[in-house]
Amino acid sequence: MPPEDPVLTSSRREALVVLVVWVVATAWSVGYCALAGYGRDPASLTFVLWFPDWVFWGIVAPWFVCIAISLWFALVFMRDEDLGSSADADADGDGLDRPEAEPGHE
Amino acid sequence: MNSEPGWGAISALLIVIAVSVWLGTLAQRAIQRGKFLTGYFLGNRGLGAWALALTATVQSGGTFMGYPSLVYTHGWIVALWIGSYMVVPITGFGALGKRFAQLSRRTGAITVPDLLRIRFGSPAVGLISSLFIIAFMSSMMVAQFKAGAIVMKLSLPGNAALALSEEGGVDPAYYIGLAVFTLTVVGYTLIGGFLASVWTDLFQSVLMLIGVMILFFLVVPLVPGEPMQRATLEAVGNTGPNYAFGPGFSADGRQFLPVGLAFSFFVVWIFGGAGSPAGQVRLMASHDTPTIRRSMVLLAFYNTLIYLPLLIICVASRSILPNLASSDELIPRLSMWATRDIPGGSFVSGLILAAPFGAVMATVSTYLVVIASGVVRDVYLRFIRPHAGQTEVRRVSQGVMIFFGLFSVALNINPVAYLQAIVIFSTSSVAATLLVPTLMAAYWRRATVPGAICAMIVGSATTMALFGAGWWMAWQGYDQEYGLKTAFRPYFLAGLEPIVWGLAASFVSGVVVSLLTRPPDAKLVSWLFDRQPEQSDDSGGRSSR
Repeated sequence: MPPEDPVLTSSRREALVVLVVWVVATAWSVGYCALAGYGRDPASLTFVLWFPDWVFWGIVAPWFVCIAISLWFALVFMRDEDLGSSADADADGDGLDRPEAEPGHE
Repeated sequence: MNSEPGWGAISALLIVIAVSVWLGTLAQRAIQRGKFLTGYFLGNRGLGAWALALTATVQSGGTFMGYPSLVYTHGWIVALWIGSYMVVPITGFGALGKRFAQLSRRTGAITVPDLLRIRFGSPAVGLISSLFIIAFMSSMMVAQFKAGAIVMKLSLPGNAALALSEEGGVDPAYYIGLAVFTLTVVGYTLIGGFLASVWTDLFQSVLMLIGVMILFFLVVPLVPGEPMQRATLEAVGNTGPNYAFGPGFSADGRQFLPVGLAFSFFVVWIFGGAGSPAGQVRLMASHDTPTIRRSMVLLAFYNTLIYLPLLIICVASRSILPNLASSDELIPRLSMWATRDIPGGSFVSGLILAAPFGAVMATVSTYLVVIASGVVRDVYLRFIRPHAGQTEVRRVSQGVMIFFGLFSVALNINPVAYLQAIVIFSTSSVAATLLVPTLMAAYWRRATVPGAICAMIVGSATTMALFGAGWWMAWQGYDQEYGLKTAFRPYFLAGLEPIVWGLAASFVSGVVVSLLTRPPDAKLVSWLFDRQPEQSDDSGGRSSR
């Protein structure tokens, strides 16, 4: 059996990291805001850098953490790969499909 | 305060139109360098980082129209409503981008149904996905024509109203707006195809960023003292404590964003964006992996510079324009108010007003290309005239665009109602239909044709059923007291948006049916999932770290 396509391997690894980041960001933001931002006494409201405290810690702070994660992901973690040459065909030449390239049509 | 947009707005709008047409002609020249189909519908797979970053995931039309209105009306809770945009840069590009770009090259696919058809070796999968896309995106596009016509109408000198409101009568100015909008957007898309759509989208995204920055630096310093604290406390005084907290203020006592809906919007924006064929086709068109990585970085900063400042601007505006009758008028009125004393202020405010018009144009243009590519590539060339020549394909593509343009105009002679509801319905439905099959196609060897078809049908049926149930209940007078009060609101099962259930049902049915049916052709799967003989170990200069 031939080895797995390296682009698939790295893409799947990266997609799993993306999934984890989404889960953690969602859990933190929704969880924190639900606990600290709903049904509070207005007298308890404080501000952090122009934002209500619960917005700052629930949305703004994780937002900047996510920027840092995005930079790490894009500049360090994600692999550059050769995406391969395009098998584009056109209607003026050999018809619509690429039957010669598709195993099912051999 | 001046209550009319005046000549500044119409001048700026005309400039936006002129630049869009010019970009269309530039795009036409660019696509002539390659083969017609790949050039016209996929820009010869040459999208750069800026174009990819600012057009593949940014939902710009709503950003500059709906979002500010929601912040002004409901308060700080809208930060949570939009909060998932913090992860859009990596979810938008990191989950599917590289694999999709590779698969589309290996298979030669230029549309999403094209890719699904080849991946599953099934014309039925391609046809079904194409029909879903054409149906959902057509309904979304028809609604956008109305929005474009109204923005154009409101920009005409002499119109006192400024909002993109669905209320108000139809008059000659509306038809002038509809005609100008249609001619412009169909015209430049016809000329330049996919690239024209992408470049005008990029143009208006930059315009929007400039507009937000201008507003931020003009508006916030004008609130004395501690601006946000003062604005928030004034708003709380005028409305109630929920303006500063969840579930948000609503004048009619509804819960704008209970916790269940807050979670839903972390699904809606992320998975709705990833499941959109308009975004997916742009991933397919990305130039290479460094482009995808750079796009991620650009989008991280772009989203931050758009959404957080807009949040601050709109809350601060509660202190400046505390009693707007229609919150949809916020950005137009704020821009005119903020630029009233600066030289050329009318034109600057016009430029800010032009951003929504550009956004709607870009959206319609994108849908036109996706719909035309679906009809031509997945229906005409596959089932009607498989051996059509390039000239014929070009004519049919342009004919399809003209047809859908005229079709949209015809439906808007009596303007379609419930614009926002149609957009939300179509976005949710198309994502619930397509996202799971595309993920299965990209990452799961065991996915089968029945599994993919089932995932599409069950996902769309679940979403449509929940929307249908909500509409029926609304007509019966039942109200869950959640979210926005519109006549076409969905039924929020367990307090969640329909897309959550649609995606879950699509996922479960796709996996179960795939496991219960015969495994796919091993040779086909190997071609798409295994290393091919021409592939080298060299990964393009950057190795795994």
